[in-house]
Amino acid sequence: MGKFWAVFFMVFAVACVALCAVAPYCGWWFPGDGKAHSTLGQKIDDLFYLILVIVTVTFIGTQIAIGYVLWRGATHNPNEKALFSHGSHTLEVVWTIVPSGVLLFIALYQMDVWAHYRIKTYFPQKMEPVAEVTARQFEWRIRYPARGKKLMPTPQPDDIYTVNDIHVPTGHPVAISLRTEDVQHSFFVPMLRVKQDAVPGLVIPVWWEMTDTGTFEVTCAELCGWGHYKMKAQVVAQSEDDFEAWKTTTAAEQFYDGVPRSATEVAQRPQGE
Amino acid sequence: MHGRKFSMFRHSASAALLAAASLGLVLTGSGCAKNPEAQFAWRDSTELLIPDARKTVQKTMHESFGTPHDLVAWARMPVQYGGLAPAAAATDDAAAGDAAPVDNGPFGHQLQLGRQVYMKNCLHCHGVAGDGAGPTARYLNPKPRDYRLGLFKFTSTLAPERITRDDLHRVVKYGIPGTYMPSFLLLDKPGTGDVNTKAVIEYVRWLAMRGEMEKRIDDELVDYSLASIDDEIAKAKNSYESAKASGEKADPPPSRSALTRKAAGDFKTYLAEDYADAVDGTADFIAENWIRADEEASLIVPKVARVTDNAASRERGRLLYMSDKTKCYTCHGHTGKGNGPATEDFWPKPGSTEKYANRGLHDVWGNKLSPRNLRQGQYRGGRRPVDVFRRIYAGIKTTPMPAFGGTVLKDEDIWDVVNYVMSLPYEPEVPSAGPAKAPRMAATEARQ
Repeated sequence: MGKFWAVFFMVFAVACVALCAVAPYCGWWFPGDGKAHSTLGQKIDDLFYLILVIVTVTFIGTQIAIGYVLWRGATHNPNEKALFSHGSHTLEVVWTIVPSGVLLFIALYQMDVWAHYRIKTYFPQKMEPVAEVTARQFEWRIRYPARGKKLMPTPQPDDIYTVNDIHVPTGHPVAISLRTEDVQHSFFVPMLRVKQDAVPGLVIPVWWEMTDTGTFEVTCAELCGWGHYKMKAQVVAQSEDDFEAWKTTTAAEQFYDGVPRSATEVAQRPQGE
Repeated sequence: MHGRKFSMFRHSASAALLAAASLGLVLTGSGCAKNPEAQFAWRDSTELLIPDARKTVQKTMHESFGTPHDLVAWARMPVQYGGLAPAAAATDDAAAGDAAPVDNGPFGHQLQLGRQVYMKNCLHCHGVAGDGAGPTARYLNPKPRDYRLGLFKFTSTLAPERITRDDLHRVVKYGIPGTYMPSFLLLDKPGTGDVNTKAVIEYVRWLAMRGEMEKRIDDELVDYSLASIDDEIAKAKNSYESAKASGEKADPPPSRSALTRKAAGDFKTYLAEDYADAVDGTADFIAENWIRADEEASLIVPKVARVTDNAASRERGRLLYMSDKTKCYTCHGHTGKGNGPATEDFWPKPGSTEKYANRGLHDVWGNKLSPRNLRQGQYRGGRRPVDVFRRIYAGIKTTPMPAFGGTVLKDEDIWDVVNYVMSLPYEPEVPSAGPAKAPRMAATEARQ
């Protein structure tokens, strides 16, 4: 019976490792293609993978040790006399020092990423926000400055407005000013590894740097009311030129006075904008 | 006369019934009752008809529109039900050539998809019947729209016309800032042709037509309602009392049961002679209105491009705003904060001398309304200049905001007012001087 339990626990451990190994190929991993699409997100992922390696080594090591002990216990000679031990001081020191060292290493090593986000070069207060994102039950409203202008803290006549549609340029770090109109919300872009609470009364700068163009889902990560689940938006990352062109067309639509100007516009008018 | 029925649940109904019966004991025993089945609630005016009339209306509505589980695609309503109607499919082969891509789906699929999207996203505020009385509605101010008058506020059409599909599309896509209507921009994945959005718009239009149909038939049958019987009794009683007081001889007032019997008898005649025509006429009226809304002639297109937005134009706009021609300030206030003197008055209910219990303005549903605070920079019907132009041109339907276009103001004047109003959020708050105190009034007059 002892052998059965030894094998049982080992099968369980092997199954765990195997399941984790195939998970990324079955879509049971990070959202989207599994990669972070912001520079900081990649650093955060690196930290995650580092810790994953450490715990994997630890897990496999301890499981092998447990398996060895169980198997030894199941196959020992019943006539053998039990060994009585008061413990090993050396062993205790080793298994205290080694994990402490590992933890201390993680604690110190990750500080660089934190500093990179909060303190180093791109501390967001040194950056010009591309847009003001205002959370509200249950949508995201976005205000951009006009082309070639800076975002002002209060609305300006030539500001451009969108809803649930956040366009940002790639190639350099971008920042947004995050606000909420009512309750607490949380701006979460899983594929960028960006998450920041929006707190009533505060304007919170959030920054990231896109690594490529694409469309990325935004969700609310703070239960904000009955419509929380439908509070979705998208981040559309575009090249600098596309971003500026998008601003131009969006501004043209926003300042549309309803008078058809050309033959093509006349043809398009009945379908709306 | 009627379209085809299609059922979502009928086939699985018997199997489900069996399962439900066996589960029923367990579920009710543990306090976990089945959700009530979705139903189109009847208007109060339907419930208040005498029984024969009520049953007749309900029968007509069932035949023409069905129930939430068993929709009827009534060919007379201008709704894109999706697919080819069975009758049209046989005869329409030649005509289909120049139409847009032929929709080969089963007839009614768009309405069914619309129902599905509506039930998931809209129902909890707007209600099953589109009556604006879903479970979350009671917590909201402003109230969710009650579609059943067929009237919507933010349209691009002339004052008497209905809302267009494009207008509904904008509202669903971008929401209504300042209200609880959120944006459903991402309801459809990009490149899928807005299938869900288009379907839910058809469903909303269909609900609006259904609601208006019920209301208009009820209005036709108002003589056969319990309320009118009450009225008649009260009137007869009054004349009897006054006759008695002056010593004349008079018949005592008739009993309620006699009057109800008489109304039932009258209704029988009406049903045999006029009812079918009334339903026909109502259906035609509704269908024509909704078809006309999407025609190009109903769209408000400014005759002139936006007048250059400069200080002179804004000043002209300001003087118009303060003039007795428009009286904008009476509601929107001298500083544009939506606190004009009209908000302090008691206003009579439409079509009666009775006044609302609360001060201030009301919409046709009887909800209290605040005139828009023009300094917030929040534009419920859209912030494009053309949106604000259309608000002024055709007014805001269902609200006291009147239509100025074509009659009171020329298009150039409207643009001046648009320029003034849209500059307000960025201007310091100085009360506008009235025309009497404004020396430059002459400039406005010279322009006209």
